[in-house]
Amino acid sequence: MPELSVVLAGLGDAIAPGTILFVLFGVMLGQFVGAVPGIGPVMATAIAIPFTFYMEPLAAIGFLVGVNKGGLVGGAIPAVLLNTPGTPDAAATAMDGYPLAKQGKPLKATKMALFSSVTGDTFSDIVLITVSAPLAVLALRMGPVEVLGVMLLAFAVIAGLMGRSLVKGVIAVALGLLAAMVGTDPEHGTPRLIFGEFRVYDGLPLASVAIGMLAIGELLRRLSESTGAVRPAVALPEGQPRADRSVSWAEYWACRFTLARGAVIGTILGALPGIGSTAAAFMSYASARQAAREPSEFGKGSLHGIAATESANSSVMGANMIPLLTLGIPGSVSAALIISAFMIHGVQPGPFLFEQQGRLIYGLFGAMVIANLLNLLVGQVGLRLWVRVVTAPESFIFAAALLMCFVGVSLATGGLFGVGVMLAFAALAYVMTAFGLSVVVFIIAFFLGPRLEISLSQTLALLNGDPLALVNYPVALALFGLAGVTAVALARRRDTESETR
Amino acid sequence: MATDRWLGLFFAGFAVLLYAVIVPWQADAVGYGFLRPRTMPRIAAVVIGLCGLILIFRPPGDARPGRFRWGRAAVFAGVLVAGLWAMSHLGFLLVAPPLALAVMLLAQERRPLWLALGAAGVPALIWFAVAVLLDRPLP
Repeated sequence: MPELSVVLAGLGDAIAPGTILFVLFGVMLGQFVGAVPGIGPVMATAIAIPFTFYMEPLAAIGFLVGVNKGGLVGGAIPAVLLNTPGTPDAAATAMDGYPLAKQGKPLKATKMALFSSVTGDTFSDIVLITVSAPLAVLALRMGPVEVLGVMLLAFAVIAGLMGRSLVKGVIAVALGLLAAMVGTDPEHGTPRLIFGEFRVYDGLPLASVAIGMLAIGELLRRLSESTGAVRPAVALPEGQPRADRSVSWAEYWACRFTLARGAVIGTILGALPGIGSTAAAFMSYASARQAAREPSEFGKGSLHGIAATESANSSVMGANMIPLLTLGIPGSVSAALIISAFMIHGVQPGPFLFEQQGRLIYGLFGAMVIANLLNLLVGQVGLRLWVRVVTAPESFIFAAALLMCFVGVSLATGGLFGVGVMLAFAALAYVMTAFGLSVVVFIIAFFLGPRLEISLSQTLALLNGDPLALVNYPVALALFGLAGVTAVALARRRDTESETR
Repeated sequence: MATDRWLGLFFAGFAVLLYAVIVPWQADAVGYGFLRPRTMPRIAAVVIGLCGLILIFRPPGDARPGRFRWGRAAVFAGVLVAGLWAMSHLGFLLVAPPLALAVMLLAQERRPLWLALGAAGVPALIWFAVAVLLDRPLP
């Protein structure tokens, strides 16, 4: 533990006007760029790194943290307002955010997403600042068998999101896994299901598949239905009562358990390298739905649904920094980008970081907390602006969104091949929706598939053909059991709800 | 109901094709290791096939292709594919304005101001934000 003087000096650096200004620029850039479908926080951070070359280390890292945190808030905006999430985790937010926006309450929906995001983010930052070291040691004890348990638990949670038909949900999972298998086989390194197209040797680009299915597929459906008079993309009733424009303290407080659950799920999964915010968002959503008194309200504009997903996916960001700062292991692509920024500025992350760079690290912690506050302030202004923008005619908004998706995916995948993949998956999403197959379930399976296959392969290697060796992994056994119980409980609840309907 | 049965038939047939033709053709046969390249795709094929059979015999009846405007969706998809093809030859700056204009006209927009904003303003804004502000190449 560094001396108090080092902690105070670090926090003093964080509240220097120069640092605050760079964090503010980062948050503004992140919220703006993150709201463009196809770009998102990871791409926004990657774009921002070259701007930091000539900055002081704390200003540079604070700026990147601001971009990342702003991007998380920005990512929810198109998901809520247009049902066109740019990332798989934002798809979970769209499930309740968009129905609420469609009810003429877009500002309420986006504000709830903002408040939940900041709450989850702040929680994980507090965990990072206070108990990062023991958590990192715990995270390191999670080997491949335990990670397989977490993956199975994530898939079990999907059982609660499968819609009316369990069989069609399972087909969507299998199709998503099949799409995830395109590329190089993780154990043997041989190409698989690539049909001679070596540009998919590393797998289908996630940005193309996610944006194609979630954003372009939805735009295609809504554009094809646009006949007759041109309507605004989001209707904002004149003289709307305050209750429909804002989130009251009572409404926020009523979601406290949902927010806390989401933040805990996001922080735990965020501390484990490689799992990511999508699993956290959907696990939190499913658990909130399971715990709700009125689960039938979910999917119809429930504030709890928005709170669950946004608190979970935003808390992943702070938690990703736990293995990064304590052990030098990046927990996600964003964390890997931030680690590169550390190295550019001559800072080597790892176990000795707190000893050697204590002032910088506590400055970073201060900058993270400041970024959360600024996210809240910038978001309050920015959300009004975005809501005003999407009251433009839907023909204009959809054409603009399409062009932005083209550019965003092209930037993310390094060329127009990714845009072609995006259009192919948009067509698939359109067909799947028409036949009652869940696009969201497909995307979750596609996202989790590679991690599942790797951890399964490693687990089989560790067990060496002896299933009894599993007794040496009590945590994994507990997770397998939990996954089984969750799948059965969610499936039974789903059946009960279907019968009630 | 009938639609779901046809869907089930499609998936059962797809699963057979996947298991017997596509996987052997597109995944190497490896005789060692713990999780071979063909194992997971074949598991997916079996699951899809079984679900297809269940759909044939117990259709849930929630497919609603009749409610979708397939013709209009195909026209929009065609415009986007043509736009992509043109973009790969002519670049974003030349193709984005007519592409946005085509999409807006197909979406029934006829007001000149909005058409001008969509066809000229949005591509210009994207060019400024991406190429000038962020210093990234446009497609």
